Amino acid sequence: MSCNPSFGGIGKGHLVREVDALDGLCGRVCDLAGVHYKVLNRCKGPAVWGLRAQVDRGLYRDNMRKEILNTPLLTVHEASVEDLLLTEPEPDHPGKCRVRGVVLGDGSTVHTGSVILTTGTFLRGMIHVGLEKHPAGRLGDQPSIGLAQTLERLGFAVGRLKTGTPPRLAKDTIDFSGLEERTADNPPVPFSFLSKAVWIKPEDQLSCYLTYTNPKAQQIVQDNLHLNNHVRETTKGPRLSETLYLYCPSLEAKVLRFPNREHQVWLEPEGLESNVIYPQGLSMTLPPELQEQVIKSIRGLEKAKMLQPGYGVQYDYLDPRQLTASLESRLVQRLFFAGQINGTTGYEEAAAQGVIAGINACLRVRGKPPFIVSRTEGYIGVLIDDLTTLGTNEPYRMFTSRVEFRMSLRPDNADARLTHRGFEEAGCVSQQRYEQAVKMKAALEDGIAALKSLQFSVSKWSQLIPEVRLSSSRRSPMSAFDILQYPEANMEILARAIPEPLRKFAKWRELSERLKIEAAYEWCVVNQQEEIEEVRQDEALQLPEDLDYFAIDASLSTEVREKLSSNRPQTIGAVSRIPGITPAAIVNLLRFVKNKHRKAEKLKAFPQTDKYLPGKMYSEKAASQTQISAELSEEEPESTFVKTPV
Amino acid sequence: MALRGALSAAGRRWAQQRLCCTARGDTIFAVSSGHGRCGVAVIRTSGPGSRGALRSLTGRPELPPPRVLALRRIRDPATAEPLDRGLVVWFPGPQSFTGEDCAELHVHGGPAVVSGVLRALGRLPGLRPAEPGEFTRRAFHRGKLDLTAAEGLGDLIHAETEAQRRQALRQMEGELGRLYQRWSETLTQALAHLEAYIDFSEDDNVEEEVLSQVDAAVRALEQELGAHLQDGRRGELLRGGVRAVIAGPPNVGKSSLLNLLCRRPAAIVSPVAGTTRDVVEVSLNVTGYPVVLSDTAGLRDATDPVEREGVSRARDRLQRADLVLAVLDATAVPAEPAGLGAAVGSLVPPAAPCILVLNKADLLGGDTGALRAACARGPPVPPATLLSCKTGDGIDRLLELLGQQLAQLCGDPLAGSPSLTQSRHSQHLGDCAAALARYGRHRARDLGLAAEQLRLARRHLGRITGHVGAEDVLDIIFRDFCVGK
Repeated sequence: MSCNPSFGGIGKGHLVREVDALDGLCGRVCDLAGVHYKVLNRCKGPAVWGLRAQVDRGLYRDNMRKEILNTPLLTVHEASVEDLLLTEPEPDHPGKCRVRGVVLGDGSTVHTGSVILTTGTFLRGMIHVGLEKHPAGRLGDQPSIGLAQTLERLGFAVGRLKTGTPPRLAKDTIDFSGLEERTADNPPVPFSFLSKAVWIKPEDQLSCYLTYTNPKAQQIVQDNLHLNNHVRETTKGPRLSETLYLYCPSLEAKVLRFPNREHQVWLEPEGLESNVIYPQGLSMTLPPELQEQVIKSIRGLEKAKMLQPGYGVQYDYLDPRQLTASLESRLVQRLFFAGQINGTTGYEEAAAQGVIAGINACLRVRGKPPFIVSRTEGYIGVLIDDLTTLGTNEPYRMFTSRVEFRMSLRPDNADARLTHRGFEEAGCVSQQRYEQAVKMKAALEDGIAALKSLQFSVSKWSQLIPEVRLSSSRRSPMSAFDILQYPEANMEILARAIPEPLRKFAKWRELSERLKIEAAYEWCVVNQQEEIEEVRQDEALQLPEDLDYFAIDASLSTEVREKLSSNRPQTIGAVSRIPGITPAAIVNLLRFVKNKHRKAEKLKAFPQTDKYLPGKMYSEKAASQTQISAELSEEEPESTFVKTPV
Repeated sequence: MALRGALSAAGRRWAQQRLCCTARGDTIFAVSSGHGRCGVAVIRTSGPGSRGALRSLTGRPELPPPRVLALRRIRDPATAEPLDRGLVVWFPGPQSFTGEDCAELHVHGGPAVVSGVLRALGRLPGLRPAEPGEFTRRAFHRGKLDLTAAEGLGDLIHAETEAQRRQALRQMEGELGRLYQRWSETLTQALAHLEAYIDFSEDDNVEEEVLSQVDAAVRALEQELGAHLQDGRRGELLRGGVRAVIAGPPNVGKSSLLNLLCRRPAAIVSPVAGTTRDVVEVSLNVTGYPVVLSDTAGLRDATDPVEREGVSRARDRLQRADLVLAVLDATAVPAEPAGLGAAVGSLVPPAAPCILVLNKADLLGGDTGALRAACARGPPVPPATLLSCKTGDGIDRLLELLGQQLAQLCGDPLAGSPSLTQSRHSQHLGDCAAALARYGRHRARDLGLAAEQLRLARRHLGRITGHVGAEDVLDIIFRDFCVGK
């Protein structure tokens, strides 16, 4: 964790849950390292709950390292990657060459079946503080130049993004007494489906504190724009000025866009024993002495000591529209990308891509079909589809408002959505997790069936459970499942009124909670089902990866052809999400796919040989190594497979 | 190769869908015989509700034998009012055009019959008007689309959507379009603010009061929509009809004609030339056709800047008119065809359907024979009549001419099918209003569910005004709030 000391949040918590459902590590490790667990949006409904935690950097690092080093068959090698080893492409995949390994900083090589690049902010990274700039991936680390040149030479479209980090403060120099305190949840809610509880005692958790900027900070920023390269470029840049820094704005950006108001600053602990405070909301790139002035202008921070100044980073990213939905690049076969290299921001977004890239890097080596999460199945699917279909021109961040099927894709049911597929199709889920998910799924089905079978009139229900106020206008009988939707109702109340058969469900706390959520969302989920089905059908209609949209014989306007060619949608579903594509164009494309499909069916009648049988070229061990490397990359996006020496 | 693997996976799904194709999903309907004047219109349904729809509209429990034409009386199931006698066909899936259960109703092609049947279908549970290209997409998903058929169909759908787009654009220019557009903006803004509250409020500066603003906006919109839907069902105020424009030189009695036709003093009349400066618009029902009649400023080279603007608006209306009522002073026109034709030609854009009204006939006195003959002559003189707005003489003949022109216009294939568009619109507006009502119910309990209702409402409205994606919503969020970390 090289930036904020926290994991999860609204939308991001959904991603952590989904990564966990696929047996990715970050959720479990957060449950071993958090110092302040808090579910955001508690009062807004379980579909938009945001699981979040302040995480102890040291504990996170140690636990993650332990997990990785104890993973069977995994070899960990720490070195910087300077170049890629390339060879002839496989004939019937798109791509002009194939990757077969990497060249390390000392000139040695590692041969591999597939490679995942998770370069974070290291590709040609450049740090800005005030008017000074120097090449670095993050403070104290060398950037990756050779690799950036290799990628550019291979023909990848490269863009430039900016991000920033706030100064760090000494905890013992802050006066918390007058500040708004935010205490943690008691009991804390774990991230992982496997965790019954988190490691820390609820009462031992640390608090966060809220303070605000005032006009003085604004004055300092405005008076010193000429000393602020990072911001000057942002506000003056021909193309960047409007979009950049919206999702992760610096203090400067906030002050310039929304002047004359207070801006929140959250003071977050970096760890249980740590004396470092992370002031979230104070990301800035002023010269250090001016940053100190800004800090001292803020209530509670009048005497605060700055341990390290904030700084901006500018780095290379690759247009993610050059990737397939499995995150493999179209240009170089078996080369996968995940994290900030694809234009995203945040640990959770990186982890989500990491788990998908890892699974697919492995499946690809084994010659199996790719593992794709659809938009209808998870936030992971929305994230990757948005990136690979629409691209991005500022660091992409997950929001629940990006998700069409928000009522169905909830944090509580990520296991039901993904764990089964992960086990059966990807082989990335442990037996224990799979069995737990199977058990939960069966219990949910039993519970819902039992609740639906209990049907009484409204007056009878009013007698049975007087604590739930029912509207009396309804004539038809109501089921216990209907009753459970009412805010005052829960499984405990129902089981008290009707012990048989409900008692056994009510005793299982997690199941009871999930049944109540299922009841609340049933109407919406059923209603969305049709639409989900439609999207799935459209997503099942794949477009050939190497399609030349300017050459194909279909009735499409030049404008539509240009859009299709630059966005490279992989399915008809993706086509329909590209702005400006008409229904007529979609139908014409459908016709084209149908035509291709027929030809493909004909071809299939001939016997074919599978060229990529596992074990032919690579050992089983190599394959799992690739997978594990990917899992590793998903947890610490800035510092793994492609690694600069520490 | 990758393509082969991918497509065969898709193929497997098709096979699965073929097995269960009638098990689920909603049912769509549309006029499938193309729009415009025709003896017979074919209305088609596709989906599991086709069976029930056919039973409801024929009022019989038994279906005709599959794929055999049967003569049936067609009634509106809600009112039992007979709509038509026509031929019906039952195509049980999978042996149908789309692979789903389908029904076809071959009815008389008049707009009243067609829109009556469409309205009746729209009121059945589980049925909704088809979106452009939707039949073809369904056929495609069920693997029913034969390539040669698709070749033709693609063009047909292209034409269909192009026509609908033109129609939609045309409507969007009018009052109705502006109204829908405003609703759409209100709703998108409300949704964006609610989404901001969900995605940001706890860590950022999104204040609680945003919610009460959203509530107020939704409540106001719900009421407005409800009123509009009520209104739309009353005959006289049908909107989005034929746009007829009254045009002519100043002081020939254009405003008097408007008042005469709508039987109330909708426009100010005075003997002073140039009284009417802005466009005055009234909705009328003329012999069963909805008409939006506009009175415009007299066409002359005005010096007064306000009047000059009025004249420019009048010319703008004329350019977009479906039908022009050209008004001339009967006492000041040449009584021979060539001269009359030239007088009209100087007013009306070429090729615009036109009726010539020679007003102030009461002042003619004496011999009107030559003028009457010139009126009846035909080209270059458009259909014409003498009229006295003062006495009302000649109004019957004018209404007769109007009726003929409207029949011709509404039957014109280029005019699209307003009835189809209207029924689609009112259905989507109804669904939108229902979703807004559910917003209120969920609001206190679960903000996510409440937001979902606004999304649904937005989607229904979007079927009329155009799609709004997540990025557009995010744009509003980041425009209106200082959020993000």
